[in-house]
Amino acid sequence: MNSLFYLISRNNKIYRRDRTLLLLSLLSVFIVILLYAVFLQQTQIDAIKQIVGVTNESKVMVNEWMVAGLLSITAVTTTLGAFGIMVKDKESKKTHDFLTAPLSRATIQLSYVINSFIIGLFFSLLAFVGCELFLILAGGKVLSIMGMLKVIGIIVLSVALSSSINLFLVLFIHTQNAFSTLSTVVGTAIGFLCGVYVPIGGVPNFVQNIIMYFPISHTAVLLREAFMTDSIQKVFKQASPDQILEYEKHYGIVYELNNRLISTSYSIWIIIITMIVFTTVSIMIFKRQNK
Amino acid sequence: MSKEQIVIKVDNLRKSYGAFEAVKGISFSVKKGELFAFLGTNGAGKSTTIDILCTLAKKNTGDIYIDGYKHGDIKGNNNIREKIGVVFQESVLDERLTVYENILNRGQYYNLSKEQIQDNYQFVSEYLKLDDIKDKKYGALSGGQRRRSDIARAIIHKPTILFLDEPTTGLDPQTRLFVWEAIKRLQEETNMTIFLTTHYMEEAAVADNVVVIKEGHIVAEGTPDQLKDKYAFDSLHLVFKNTFSSKQWFKERKISYTFKNSIYTLRLATTIDAYDILKKLENQIESFEVIKGSMDDVFINIIEEKEVIVL
Repeated sequence: MNSLFYLISRNNKIYRRDRTLLLLSLLSVFIVILLYAVFLQQTQIDAIKQIVGVTNESKVMVNEWMVAGLLSITAVTTTLGAFGIMVKDKESKKTHDFLTAPLSRATIQLSYVINSFIIGLFFSLLAFVGCELFLILAGGKVLSIMGMLKVIGIIVLSVALSSSINLFLVLFIHTQNAFSTLSTVVGTAIGFLCGVYVPIGGVPNFVQNIIMYFPISHTAVLLREAFMTDSIQKVFKQASPDQILEYEKHYGIVYELNNRLISTSYSIWIIIITMIVFTTVSIMIFKRQNK
Repeated sequence: MSKEQIVIKVDNLRKSYGAFEAVKGISFSVKKGELFAFLGTNGAGKSTTIDILCTLAKKNTGDIYIDGYKHGDIKGNNNIREKIGVVFQESVLDERLTVYENILNRGQYYNLSKEQIQDNYQFVSEYLKLDDIKDKKYGALSGGQRRRSDIARAIIHKPTILFLDEPTTGLDPQTRLFVWEAIKRLQEETNMTIFLTTHYMEEAAVADNVVVIKEGHIVAEGTPDQLKDKYAFDSLHLVFKNTFSSKQWFKERKISYTFKNSIYTLRLATTIDAYDILKKLENQIESFEVIKGSMDDVFINIIEEKEVIVL
């Protein structure tokens, strides 16, 4: 147990001292902020204008939509960035040093996963605090204690899910070049797959289906719901239930799959099952690779 | 030597990668406290054997015991890992951590208390003179400084056996000497068993025992002196005065020689034989040189499958 702690501490220290890895992890977060500032916010406000009048509350609601997407992406890219250490260790054969020490294979692997989780959680919570400040400064209200706990809970789930999926991906990556390519692909794709760069309603049906079957996008749905429920009620109090549902479906606040609205608990189950499957498969692959 | 003193026992070890058999049933043993040199050309099966001994790779068949622990099962391998230290060919410490952070962190992977790790650090720091580089980032060190740190990391838990996989390759002669002296001191003062692979035959020459592996088979083993006796020879180089009919002289005495660039080369059974020849020819010689047989000769002759028959 102590060895696990020291391995995690080593991984964490290396990540913190690697500015490039740190910057790469946060690259897509910067892209989201930039896209939002340039056109995403305005596009959505224009869309709302067609249903109800635009007020400060609608701007707050749109900001909340962006914040939810940003937090779901942060969990993915920061956990992936932390796994960069695992790839570097493999490529430079540093892993050999651990494999010839009295450490179990599971402990070595677990140290990367837990480190990735810690880093992902730290940055996601930091981003949450930053986003809350942004929302308040932009005229919004502080989330209630229950709301905050709900968001933190979803962040924890989101970071755990991202860690398990990223672990699976990096098991097939053996060089830093390949890892950089993977980071770029994931960093770019995740914005689309979570319906952040373009709202889910703005893409063709088959892409919508891909997004809805993509487990990480469910964390974005949960976060949007947690952040936006109150604002939606305020902004769309004059609108019909159909108009509200249409907006929610278009912007990925609710998913409709096979003509059925997906419930919160359904999304949570998808996240948990995916997490278990990816972790189990990853452990099996790692054991096979390090027989 | 009693059986208790054997710390590495390898019996009929085999290892294949697909259809390619890298190690073909080798057996050898290493005694406690000895400097054991494991030699071979690239691709001979040396690294595969070391990887197996260090528990990095699995064997196909054969029995291995390291410091009394059976190699191969999880429990045995874990016990072995407590007892061994490995200096790899590549740098395995973290560039962004200081030497002190690196060594301390690695020391924490063994079941040692904080006090023990600190004591051990003092011990390795003294052996490898780490004071001047203690707080430097590993990534900013020179090749020699890195190697010192690598060795310090490998012995931070005071292992029974230290595996050194070409530890001095790429180092300048001065650093090589420093590293080598530190290793020898460690062996002599702590009775640590050193398992060495090297391409420098002068390093193998000071080993207590040498094994040479070729194409997965052990082709020679013994002390450096035994191997020199069998695979190397002292030779006498002679240059005669123009007036002397040297070829005739050798023919009459049935002495074999080689002749190149005015130099006659004679193989000697013992160094002292040179004295007899020189005494008989003292008035006819313009110059001479006695060349001692070296481990380089041993290695080359073993690899080229030449057993030396002295005159």
